Amino acid sequence: MSRIAVINLATLGLLIGGALTAHLTGHAFLVTLATKAAIFALAGVGLNFALGYGGLVSFGHAAFFGIGGYVTGILASHAMSGQPLTTLPYTMNGTNEMLAIWPMVLLVSGLAALAIGALSLRTSGVYFIMVTLAFAQMIYWFAVGWPAYGGEDGLSFYVRNAFPGVQTMQPLSWFLICAGLLLMTLGFTAVVMRARFGLALQAARRNTQRTVAVGIRPFGIRLTAFVLSAMITGLAGSLYADLNRFVSPAMLSWYMSGEIMVFVILGGVGRLVGPVAGAMLFVTMEHLLGGISDYWQVLLGLVLLGVVLWSPGGIVGMLSGRGRGHA
Amino acid sequence: MHDAILDIRRLRKAFGALTATDDVSLTLYPGEIHALIGPNGAGKSTLIKQIVGELRPDAGEVRFEGQRIDGLDAAARARLGLARSFQVSSVIPDFTVLQNVCLAVQGGSGRSFGFLRPILSDSGLTEPAGFHIRQVGLDGREQIAAGALSHGERRKLEVAMALALRPRAFLLDEPMAGMGTEGAGQLVSLLSGLRTEAPILLVEHDMDAVFALADRISVLVYGRIVATGSVDEIRANPEVRRSYLGEEA
Repeated sequence: MSRIAVINLATLGLLIGGALTAHLTGHAFLVTLATKAAIFALAGVGLNFALGYGGLVSFGHAAFFGIGGYVTGILASHAMSGQPLTTLPYTMNGTNEMLAIWPMVLLVSGLAALAIGALSLRTSGVYFIMVTLAFAQMIYWFAVGWPAYGGEDGLSFYVRNAFPGVQTMQPLSWFLICAGLLLMTLGFTAVVMRARFGLALQAARRNTQRTVAVGIRPFGIRLTAFVLSAMITGLAGSLYADLNRFVSPAMLSWYMSGEIMVFVILGGVGRLVGPVAGAMLFVTMEHLLGGISDYWQVLLGLVLLGVVLWSPGGIVGMLSGRGRGHA
Repeated sequence: MHDAILDIRRLRKAFGALTATDDVSLTLYPGEIHALIGPNGAGKSTLIKQIVGELRPDAGEVRFEGQRIDGLDAAARARLGLARSFQVSSVIPDFTVLQNVCLAVQGGSGRSFGFLRPILSDSGLTEPAGFHIRQVGLDGREQIAAGALSHGERRKLEVAMALALRPRAFLLDEPMAGMGTEGAGQLVSLLSGLRTEAPILLVEHDMDAVFALADRISVLVYGRIVATGSVDEIRANPEVRRSYLGEEA
């Protein structure tokens, strides 16, 4: 087994083993903490798809995280109140079934990414960063000013949505659903990056001119990657809403975009389990240090500085003993 | 005579007051190596960019196998079989040799939206790629990262990537740049064999290589073609000797 495979297994083992141990020793709160890490990891895996493999530095992924959250919250609140979302062109009711919510989340965040990506991918570099940020801020302010779903105060829905045959309010069951989705997404990412699409995407990141010269147009490849990336982050947003049973514009803020980026950079850009390692470290630090001081992020900043300066491949890059590259 | 594969007619491109391409007409016939020479700043790179579609000419037309291709973008022209190599080696450094050539096969096939089957078990990619790797003599180096290759090997990899497009014409921009004398000899014989695959428009500074390879030579000075002819004709042309070859001839 290669060293990188060992690191991948160890990272995932730490997350899942940690949650199981916490459950067996009766620390339900730590199970929930692991769930939060798994959800943040999923959001990071989504961003890594575009940023790590495609070189598309999106500073607007909170838009998709928040859209996933709001779709979930809106559907759940309508299911609770019994009022249909809309009666035109036909009656559409809310739902509290995760298996019905997730496809809707994937659809809406994918469509949003198609529109945002089609415009922002006409730019590159720092302009791409700014355009994605601008779109996310537009959606943020829209949510703030939308009183029907709580506006600035956000939207609560009291009961976690349902999954067939599973008691979702039980912390370990809920963790396993989130971890299962994380594993499936990691598997999907690994397969895609070894296939034709992944080859073209990574080639376009490293050498656009050469990629064009062999007859591949980067735009369609990058737009597809951006959409898939947004759908994954949107799914994470749906889970995050269910974790807290609450959504608010904070999920859409640029601060959230930055946090998702921190997971990716801490763990290792373009590394398969990089975002998992990054999200675990982030949640652990927040838990251990956040109780001591509200200014714990000063330390996070130092850690981030250290990683960027001395190990640009992130935690995974440091452990694998290689610089920037591919997991 | 056969019809020209590449037929450039009265191409013109100006950057402000500087006319980089001044009424250039140029043809490339099947089976030939047509060398384009000229001093630095003569407009060779500008001309190449207009042929491959990176730069839009102000006037004139580019015909490829009888069809006008002026309106197509660079990716579409590559897919038609206009294979290009770069002045500075241009490969994907952290891809292996095999992955680089697979990328070119994939680009030529026009099918990049495969999400499931791994490249390395996609025989539609690996078989042609392996063939072209052997063709340039890089067999045994398939799993080496392209960034770890020697300069000469990287040049060969570029030729393999060009071949993988199953080209109808090659545009080679200074393939000899940076080669040592020993490697240069190898590369000259590799390039010489390529003309049976597809004709080559060769931009080159190394006059020994040009005289060894070219069937015809065109001389570009200040954006204009001042002479086109066989190697002997160009060597004998007094204007060329004065304006370009100087003491060398």
